Order: sequence, then C-alpha cells, then structure tokens
Amino acid sequence: MNAPILVVDDEPDMCWAMESILKSQGYEVVTVLSGEEACYQLANRTFGFVFMDAKLPDMDGLDVVRRARAIAPDQVRAVLVSGYHYHDDPVIRQAIDEGVICGFLAKPFTHSDLLKALPKRDTPDSR
Amino acid sequence: MNSGPLHMSDHDLSANRFELLYGMLLDAIPSSVLMVDEKLHIVSVNRNFLLKSQRGEAKTVGRPLAEVFPTIILENTDIERRIREVFRSGTSVKGQRMTYRAPGVPIRIYYYSILPIPSNQVMLLMEDVTEQVRLSEEVRRVERHLASVVDSASDIVLSTDTEGRILTWNSAAEKLSGLTAHEVRGQYFFHFCGANEQQTVSTVFMRMKSGNDSHTTEFPLLTSNKDNILVSWVFSPMKDDYGQTVGAVVVGRDIAERRKLENQLRQSQKLAALGVMAGGIAHEIRNPLAVCYSAAEFLLMEDIPADFREDCSRKIQSGIQKASAIIENLLRFARPSPDTEMSQVDLSAVIRDTLELIANQAKVQQIKIQLDLEKKPVLVRGVSGLLQQVFMNIFLNAINAMPEGGLLSIIEEIFEAEVAVRISDTGVGIQESDLDKIFDPFHTSSPVGKGTGLGLSICYSIVQQHLGAIHAQSTPGEGTTLTVRLPLL
Repeated sequence: MNAPILVVDDEPDMCWAMESILKSQGYEVVTVLSGEEACYQLANRTFGFVFMDAKLPDMDGLDVVRRARAIAPDQVRAVLVSGYHYHDDPVIRQAIDEGVICGFLAKPFTHSDLLKALPKRDTPDSR
Repeated sequence: MNSGPLHMSDHDLSANRFELLYGMLLDAIPSSVLMVDEKLHIVSVNRNFLLKSQRGEAKTVGRPLAEVFPTIILENTDIERRIREVFRSGTSVKGQRMTYRAPGVPIRIYYYSILPIPSNQVMLLMEDVTEQVRLSEEVRRVERHLASVVDSASDIVLSTDTEGRILTWNSAAEKLSGLTAHEVRGQYFFHFCGANEQQTVSTVFMRMKSGNDSHTTEFPLLTSNKDNILVSWVFSPMKDDYGQTVGAVVVGRDIAERRKLENQLRQSQKLAALGVMAGGIAHEIRNPLAVCYSAAEFLLMEDIPADFREDCSRKIQSGIQKASAIIENLLRFARPSPDTEMSQVDLSAVIRDTLELIANQAKVQQIKIQLDLEKKPVLVRGVSGLLQQVFMNIFLNAINAMPEGGLLSIIEEIFEAEVAVRISDTGVGIQESDLDKIFDPFHTSSPVGKGTGLGLSICYSIVQQHLGAIHAQSTPGEGTTLTVRLPLL
C-alpha cells in the first residue's frame, strides 16, 4: 500500500499502540488527536485507510468520516474504533449499512483484530 | 336639728349643703357603699347598691344586714363576724371577695372592704369586679390552652432569651432529651448541642437578634445519657410589638427514622446516577485497557528492541494507573456517605472531584467544560459525599440537556458570608411553567428508564440540610443555570 494509514484518537497512548502495530507490519502511519486535525488531513492527503476513534473531544468520529466521504466518497475507507460502542450497537449497524464505515473494532483489541480490519489486498505481503 | 327649716343658721345651711353634696358624690361613684352600725343595721346606702341588689331604699335602710344580704353570702363570707371585728379592733378589712346574686340578675363578683368610721359606724365598700375577673380568667384560660398546645406537641418546642438561654422546655423536649425543664432552665441552648454545632447555633442566635428570618438546620441533640438524637430544627425570632427581638422559639423534630429512609433514597439515586454515567466510564476504562493489551502483546513477541520493551512496560503501568484511578473515583462516589457527620469541607475540591467523574460523559457528548473556581479553598460545613451528590446530579442534568454538545460552565463566587456556585448549560432549557416543579420528587422530563426524577429533589434536601439554597433560571432553547448557595465557615 502506497498511501499511509491515518490513525485518529484523542488518547496519545492509543495512537502509540496502533501506530506501533501498524509500523511493525511495514505501514506508513499518520496519527492525529482531534476531529479537526483529522478533517484537515483527510482534505489534504490521500490515505489508504483510516482508524477512527468514535468519541473525540471536538467531534463525533462518524461525523468526521461522513464529512471526508462527502468530498471524496471512494477514497475514504474507515474502521471505527471505540470503547464506547459494542459491535451490534444500532448506531454502528446503521453506519455500516449506510457504507459510512467498513467495519468496527472494539477496544481493547488484539493485534490481529486490528490487522484483519485492513482490506486484504492492501496488506504489504499481498503486494 | 333644733331649729326648723325656716330658721336655719349659716352653719346649718352649709352643713346641709355638704350633706347633699356628699350624698350626690356617693350616689355618683360606681361602687356600692353601705354604712352599718354596731347592731349590724344598715344606716345608709348609696344608689349603686340599690341598683345592684335590686332593692328599694325603704326595704334596706334601718334593716339588719342579715335581712338585706342573702343567707348564703352571710355564711360564705362570714361578713357579720368581720364587721364586729372591725368595730372591736378599729382596723379595716380590705380586698375580700364576694359573689353576689341578686334575684333576676346574673351572678356578680365583688371585692369588698370594711372600713371603720369614727361615728361608731363602719363603711362596707363593695366594688363590682365581675368583668375584670372574667377577663383575667379568660387570659388564664388562653394561657392554659397555649401551654397545653405547646406541651401536647410531639415536637420539641422551647423558648429562649435573645442570648439563647432556655426559658421554657416542653414535655416532648423532656421526653426526647431526658432532661427536665427545671434542669435546663437558664442554661444556654448550645450546651445541649454537639461540640461541632455550638458555633453554628451561636451564629444563628446572633443573626436572629437583628433579622426576621427563621433558620432551618439539623444537628443532634445531646441527651441525659450522653447519647444524641438527630433533630431537624427551626429557629424563629420572637418579636415584641415594636419589632424588637425579645427571644427565640426553637422547634425540633426527631428525624432519625426519616433520615434513615432519606439516606436509602439518596443512595439508590446515586447508584441510578452511576448508571447514567456508565457509557462514559466504559469508554474511559477501555482506552487504557486497550493500550495495556497491545503493549502486553508486543512484550510477548521475540526480538523487540530493548527500549521498545521498556516503552511497553511503562504504557502498561500508566494504563493500569489510569483505569484504577477511574475505578477509585467511582467507588468513592458509590459508597454510602458515613451518615450526616458534618465537617469542614473545601467546596472547590468537591466540585473538582465531581467533575472528574463526569468528564468522560461530557467528552463523549462533545461538551466543553469551563471551570472558574476561587483560588483559595472555599470552606463550608458539610458532608462532602452529599455535596458531591448535589453537583453530580446538577452536572448530569446539564449534560443530559445538551445531547448535541455544548458548554458546561461552573463559576464559583464569594458573597460576604456565602459562596454561590453557578452551573450553566447551553442546553434545551426548561419551560417557565415547569421551573417551579423541577425540585419536586418524581418530576422528570427524561423518558422512562432514563431518569428517576429524584435528582434535583435530593439536591434540594441536601442543600437545605447544609443551610443553603438552590434555585434555577432558564430560557428554553438557550440553557439553564442552577445556583447553589451555601454559608461559608
């Protein structure tokens, strides 16, 4: 995958964990701590994938994704990462059905859970 | 008289004039006057006596006393013996009481005096005091009634002078305290309050000296067996006709049983509030858990650099610390308050601790928090667990009023002897018609299952217990401000 992965979480340690996992697999990673920064990044760069925290202090994670998809619907593929929701939460189900996100990852997660969330064809090994 | 009326001397003329004058005077005075000779015959009477006794002059003057006064009076008052005694001793008898009932008129009450007159007569002076006796009996009856009202009350009712020295102490006070009215009379009321309350009670008495307001509070009353009972008190200044404080009335009710139920209710409401916070708490604990989990998974991998291994260990440590800090906060909030023992509390610290508990909830709803607390500690007398519950409920209400996010601001201000904490949200607001109902139990705008409708009524009762006040202002669509006022230490 050429385009980097965007990791959005207001908790720096969460960013550290996800960045470490992804980097260990050879991905390039950009981390941001707020919805506003995420919007800026998504508007100015192309990312291969987005790990989006559901609850950011300034914005709702799903809204950030919705906003980015409004500009470039096909370029933003995101998984929502959250300790607040559960996987069959109606809000999550609806967001997946509407195609806003392509998956959901509950905190805490295993490294393989995180990596499995990435689209297969994009894994470095399949290149 | 030796000369006929046609040949009267000057002396006779003037004597006659005096006789007429005195006769008129006697007739004019509103008391009955009788002159009695040594044989106990009536020599003369004035008009008032004839009127009161319903007798004609002819049937009275020259007759024996025994014929004019009813037998029952003669027997009861022993008046004949008393008159003879005055004749013998020459000293008067004063202020005896006599009840006289003339035929056809209601009973009258007289005070009579027997006064010796130099011309071998005595004067029997009778004053009608029926009305005065009736009035004073009425006064006594009202007094007895009031006393029995106070004494029959199951609440403690006591009165004090302006300095707080006990004047009266009713039966309920005797029963509850085990101390008799005799034992406590003249003692300072605060001697029967716990050591922690003495200062408060003195302050209340000081305020009543100049103010008109009643003061409501609660604290234990010490009993004769060195025990204490929790009492809810109302102190009211007693004013004279000129508006000066002349003392105080203190009414107290034994609330041990009520307090037990109240504590149970407060506790269950607190647990309900915890339920509301569950989402925020889950989010906040799962973050450090996720970090720990990842770091541990890295540690299980072989061939990782030494500095990364150290990073992982540190992340695990700090993650566990974060999670356990959240849990500790929760535990502290969930634990029942150790009864109502009041102590010195820093209100700002209570507000900060409470904010920490709801910060997660605010964050997941995109609510910003603006905090403007006093620099120095704000000391009040209270139960910190209960005060925390007050702010917790108000904060949660504010958060619930802002489902789309907003601003929660908390401003603390000192006004002379009190601190005011204003908690404002930019939420949906409250209709004016609902504003006076928000402190009522079970009044809720939340859907079923979301709120119990007890939060603010519990805030109200806790603030009142702390001698404070709480009130709300709101503009629908713009937000609500709740102000909590508490007296400073």
